[in-house]
Amino acid sequence: MKLTALIADDEELARRLIREYLARHADIDIVAECENGLQTVGELARCSPQLVFLDIQMPKLTGLEVLEASGRRSGVIFTTAYDEYALKAFDLHAVDYLLKPFAQERFDQALEKARRQLGRPAAPTPAAPALEKMLSERRLDRILLRERGQLHVIPVESVDYIEAQDDYILIHAADKSWMKTQSLSELEKQLDPRRFIRVHRSFLLNIERMRSIERQGGDGHVAVLQDGRRVPVSRAGHERLKTAI
Amino acid sequence: MHPIFSSAHRLQWYASAWLFVGAMLAASLVAAGDALWTNALFFALPVCLLYSFIALSAYYVCRSLPLAQRQALHTGVSFAAAAVIAGLTLVGIGTAWTSIGRSLGIEWGAFELTRRYQVLLFGLGVALYLLSLFAHDGLIALENLRSAERREADSRALAREAELQALRAQINPHFLFNSLNSISALTSLDAAAARTMTIALAQFFRQTLALGERQKIALSEEIGLCESFLTVEKIRFGKKLDAAWHVQQAALPAAMPAMVLQPLLENAIKHGIRDLSEGGVIEIAAEVREGWLRISVNNPCSIEQDTEQSAGNPTNQGNPRHTGIGLQNIRQRLAAMFDGRARIACRRDDRQFIVELTIPFLPLEDTPGRPS
Repeated sequence: MKLTALIADDEELARRLIREYLARHADIDIVAECENGLQTVGELARCSPQLVFLDIQMPKLTGLEVLEASGRRSGVIFTTAYDEYALKAFDLHAVDYLLKPFAQERFDQALEKARRQLGRPAAPTPAAPALEKMLSERRLDRILLRERGQLHVIPVESVDYIEAQDDYILIHAADKSWMKTQSLSELEKQLDPRRFIRVHRSFLLNIERMRSIERQGGDGHVAVLQDGRRVPVSRAGHERLKTAI
Repeated sequence: MHPIFSSAHRLQWYASAWLFVGAMLAASLVAAGDALWTNALFFALPVCLLYSFIALSAYYVCRSLPLAQRQALHTGVSFAAAAVIAGLTLVGIGTAWTSIGRSLGIEWGAFELTRRYQVLLFGLGVALYLLSLFAHDGLIALENLRSAERREADSRALAREAELQALRAQINPHFLFNSLNSISALTSLDAAAARTMTIALAQFFRQTLALGERQKIALSEEIGLCESFLTVEKIRFGKKLDAAWHVQQAALPAAMPAMVLQPLLENAIKHGIRDLSEGGVIEIAAEVREGWLRISVNNPCSIEQDTEQSAGNPTNQGNPRHTGIGLQNIRQRLAAMFDGRARIACRRDDRQFIVELTIPFLPLEDTPGRPS
């Protein structure tokens, strides 16, 4: 049976090297080559290849953001020149990766491992949960979300505050509100705790956007943003806010 | 507050000196035959001690007339006026104290402050106050000297720190390993290109090691370094990357810290050209005008591009992803070398990102010409 593969790397020479290493493996068919993260997400959806050679440091979206946006978990072989944060996460979760420059032998090994896991789709693959955990634990620079089939990228520094609704969250950033299905606590863990403070059970506030804290009612408080919007602050939230500033 | 109050030890010495002055005054009163020792001491010691605090006000008079901006006449008038006021105050203190002494009605507390003694007291007050003014001037000058030395040491430490950071940045692991990966790919595709790239990479590292150790280099040397860097990057990014130099001949010998232009080019590629699928041209210009050297780096960037390229903005400082040396470090090194007379600004115009650097034009002597 032939295996389909996708190569994602913004450097042409790096893609050609993988192509060359793959030439020895006659059973692998390269169905797509991508030079940035956004294109990779599109191609993954279009041709759902069984194997993905994924560079971490790519323009538009990083390799890890590609996984987050596409939901892809199996058959991924990471390649990276140097990214100490990603490498630490890989080691922590025992995810296999190729360090550039890599030899044919090392490449074949990683390919063999991925192939073995693809060969038994019924068996629980260790890679998927490990990747899941790694993605949910990393610190975000931007938040990805899908709205009406389109992928949006929101830099975290543009976020004003995030509000929890029933089973989704509302991200208020740059005069817009975005909906994302994720729990507030989950997202809170991925954001810089020095910048984002849980001021209320249902509100996560970017303190750089806060203008003042005002009293409201007996001993209640409310945070006033630079543009005048008001975010409720609970008693515990007020304590956290005070220690943060 | 006056610096003397910050140390009990100093205050003690100061009071002792004034008590000695008081004792001398008492001794002269006794010698003149106008008072007994008890009466003379009872008069002179408290008056001098009180006046010692008045004399401390000289500190504020000196501080209000900074040494560097003094004019002889203005200073003379101010000092004389302050001394006269102080002298009159001393007479006032003396008069008040003698009347208190009289009202106490004790024999050794009485002292007759005659007109003659009032004049004497006034003269003494003026003289001592002038002395205090000069002493304060001396101390302030000494303090200024010390703080200037401290500032210089601070700026040296800052420069060293910046240098260290620059050295670390030179060996950008991402650049090194990606280049090695490209060479590895080229060995089978195009052996000659692999060799060219190996040589350019070696040359780049050799130049950074040699230049990084030097306090200042000529613009021509920095350009040589950038050309090796671009040779490597052009092979890595292929047709996507190109560079155009517009450098005035007169600008070549300009002195600057090493590794100022190269990180700007690195940023232009990393946050600009790399994100464009069609690639682009980096425009580098340098010119000398009216004693200033102006360098600009201009690169196309995508519309949705965030502000990452301006890694100098403080919000990016704590972000480990921005491992690029950043504008902040360049700014610090330029400030250390040109004593604050350097400016670096970046802006976005539509689809262009422009960094502009303005520094005093100081030609470095015996600069080697631009390497071809």
